This record gives sequence, C-alpha cells and structure tokens, in this order.
Amino acid sequence: MKPALFDYYRPNSLDEAVGALAASDSSKVLAGGQSLIPAMNFRLSSPSLLVDIQGMPEFGALTVDSGGVRIGAAVTQSTVERSPDASAAVSALRQALRYVGHLQIRNKGTVCGSLAHADPAAELPALAVALGAELAIHNAGGSRLIAAGDFYRGPFWVDLEPEDILTEAYFPAPPAGTVTVVDEISRRAGDFAIVGLAAVVAVDEGTVTSATLVSFGVGGKPERLATAESAIVGFDGNGASDALYDAAFQDADGALDDGHATAIYRQEALASVVVRAARAALDSAQDGRRNS
Amino acid sequence: MTASGIGSSHVDVAVTINGERVSHTVPARLLLSDFIRDVVGLTGTHVGCEHGFCGACTIMVNGDAIRSCSTLAAQVDGSTIRTVEDLATDGQLSPMQQAFHENHAMQCGFCTTGFLMTLESVDAKDYQEHDQVIELLSGNLCRCTGYQNIVTAVTSVWHGEEAGG
Repeated sequence: MKPALFDYYRPNSLDEAVGALAASDSSKVLAGGQSLIPAMNFRLSSPSLLVDIQGMPEFGALTVDSGGVRIGAAVTQSTVERSPDASAAVSALRQALRYVGHLQIRNKGTVCGSLAHADPAAELPALAVALGAELAIHNAGGSRLIAAGDFYRGPFWVDLEPEDILTEAYFPAPPAGTVTVVDEISRRAGDFAIVGLAAVVAVDEGTVTSATLVSFGVGGKPERLATAESAIVGFDGNGASDALYDAAFQDADGALDDGHATAIYRQEALASVVVRAARAALDSAQDGRRNS
Repeated sequence: MTASGIGSSHVDVAVTINGERVSHTVPARLLLSDFIRDVVGLTGTHVGCEHGFCGACTIMVNGDAIRSCSTLAAQVDGSTIRTVEDLATDGQLSPMQQAFHENHAMQCGFCTTGFLMTLESVDAKDYQEHDQVIELLSGNLCRCTGYQNIVTAVTSVWHGEEAGG
C-alpha cells in the first residue's frame, strides 16, 4: 500500500467534521482527493486522520442565481463544468475547468479542493482572485468569509488552519460590459500550466477600458499584474501590443525557474498570453455586440 | 482508532462491481486500484504511474470515469463500479474492443484497458469532432502503439470513418 497508515472518518454533519479536525493533531479534509491521494502515494503527505466530506449532502449543493455561482465543498469539477446554469452565470468557470486535469480527474476532484490546495500553477485560484470570489470557512469555533484575493499566501499555502474546512466558494458573475478570459500554456492538454492568465476585461466600443489580470504558474500564488493592468487601458488591438507585452513581462519579473521552464521563458510566455487574451477579449466583446 | 478516538484504520467497503455485489473490510489506506486487483481479483485494471497522470487505472464509478489509483477504496463504498472485464458480453468483444483489435490500436496492451474505460464512460455524440476525440484521449498515455491507431479505432466506431479515410 502506497499511503502511510492513517485513520479514516466519515462524518455525518459539519459539527462532526470540524470536531474531528479539531481533535486530531494531523488531520486532513478529504474531498475528491485528486491532489491529496497522489501526494499520499508519494508520502509527501502523511496525515494521521482523513475526514472524508465528499458524501455529505450539506456540501453537495451547486446553486446558481443571477449574481453568481455557489459551489459546495463536495461538488466535483465535472458537475460545475456540465452545468448549463453555472456556465450561463459565470462562463469562465467552464473555460477554466477545461484546463483542470483530465476528465477522469475532474469527475472526482472538487472546485473547493483545488482552491484550498493552492497549487501555484492551478487555474481555479487565479480565476477566484480575478472574479473576487468569496470563500466560506468553518471550524469548531465558528465561521468566517474571506475574499479569494486575501486567501492565497504562497505555494500550497492559504489562510486556512488545520482545523478549518473550506465549505463553499461563491464566484460572482463578472460585471456587465466585461469579458472573462482564461488562457494558458502547457506541455499537454490537462497538464499544469507553465504559465496562465485569468482576465476580467472591460471593453467599450472596441477599446479596453479596464482589466483585472491575474497570473498563475508564474510566482508562488495567483498574482495581480499591476503594470499590465495599467498598460492594457486603451488597447484596441491595433498596434501598441508591444507596450502591453513589455508591461506583462515586467510584472512577471522573478518568475519561477524550474525543470519545466526557465524564468525568462515564463516571462515571455506570460507576456504573450496577456496580449493574446487582450485580443481574445476584444474579439469576444465584438461578437457579443454583433449577436445582441 | 486514533489517539482522539475518531476514525478507524479499517473500513467496510460494499460495492457492486460488474454486476456483482462484494463486501470486504479493508485497510483505510488501500487504493481502489489495489482493491480491484488484489482483493476482488480483477486484474484487467492496470496500475501505471499511481499518481493520476497516465490513465492506465481508469475505471467507471457510478457511470463516470475516474482514476482508481488516486482514489481510496473507502471513498467508493456504496458505489457501482465497472471495469474492463464488464465490456465483453458472452465472450463477444464490445464494438470498441473489436475496433481496437481490427485497427491494431494496442501493442503491449498495458494502457488499453484505461483507454477503453474512458471511452465507455462518455456519450459519443459529445465527441463528434476529431479534436474532441484527441482532447478526450489526452487523459490516457500510450507509450508504444502510437495514438494514431487508437484514434482511428475510436473514429471508426463513433464517426463511421475507415482507416486512412
């Protein structure tokens, strides 16, 4: 057996779940397990107690209203990907999810699990930051809400204590007049991104008026691209992409340098993705006007 | 039991696998792939990378393809499981198995069962474009046949295309 010994617990209620987490000194929440189980197979992670929440009905709800999409901790990535209502409210969810692992991973893995795992190259945390998602966290002492932008601290490091459960994520619908783009460069469909971008771009009359640009795979966590967010204003797709490219290149200074890609490659790749995403946003906005 | 008295090191797992109900008490850390192979004795499910990358261990749980190496047996208690052994009927290969056979879509065969279970789990009408088939198959690695014959086998069944067409 690959994972180290542990005890397994299937709670019947949120109270039981947070009680178990509080009572154990080395516990982990198990939802889909698509990052946790492989990490345990390699013994990179060896918790003494797994608290399996995937079968809990109270975490199984996917609710959609005009304001956004609320995703419970046990909701799989495939469930969200296949939901026409979720896609209608926040179309970027499906865009991002298509990049997450492969079909077989998404059938078991959860959206909240990805958000809490905080792989630096993961799509969903960056999208959550770009859209201003709100995360609900419970422990034995109570509950709190935290903005995704304040949640991420570093690689696999979030504002979550061992006794906490991320119980749901709320992705607000992007503001009217904006286009959301999720784009990335990876070696193979379904692999983690070498670099990627979640962008919420406001377009008026064929010109970008403002944008929220969040990178992933570049630093240790989702990062806002402040220089590029300034440079993109006024971008209309005609020329002038050099300034945007240079700004994004500058934002990616200090990018990860590892076996997958050098730092300079990541800077160049991110800058290219930012320009590509800006053009895609303009095209998409134009299509939207034509169709409306 | 842990020091805190919560949870246990062994778990009762009752599943329906290929139409048969089985029930075993197994270690909590037993992977589903090992449960299927070593406890139930169905060795058609193969174990490759054991971290969710290669797809050799793909099976169906409640109709969906999943990685059995990245799932605990404990997690699927109460589920309905299908493995490659369930595809043929009375010794007759399924249409997809037959197409793999006819198109030489396997060489060593190690990855084949994972490909077949991924294909079995989806609705062909959602994959009518060639590129959609390619993207679907990206979740299963083959290191010897080459993908072309696999793609040809799939499109021959789903799109009615002949090899070389």
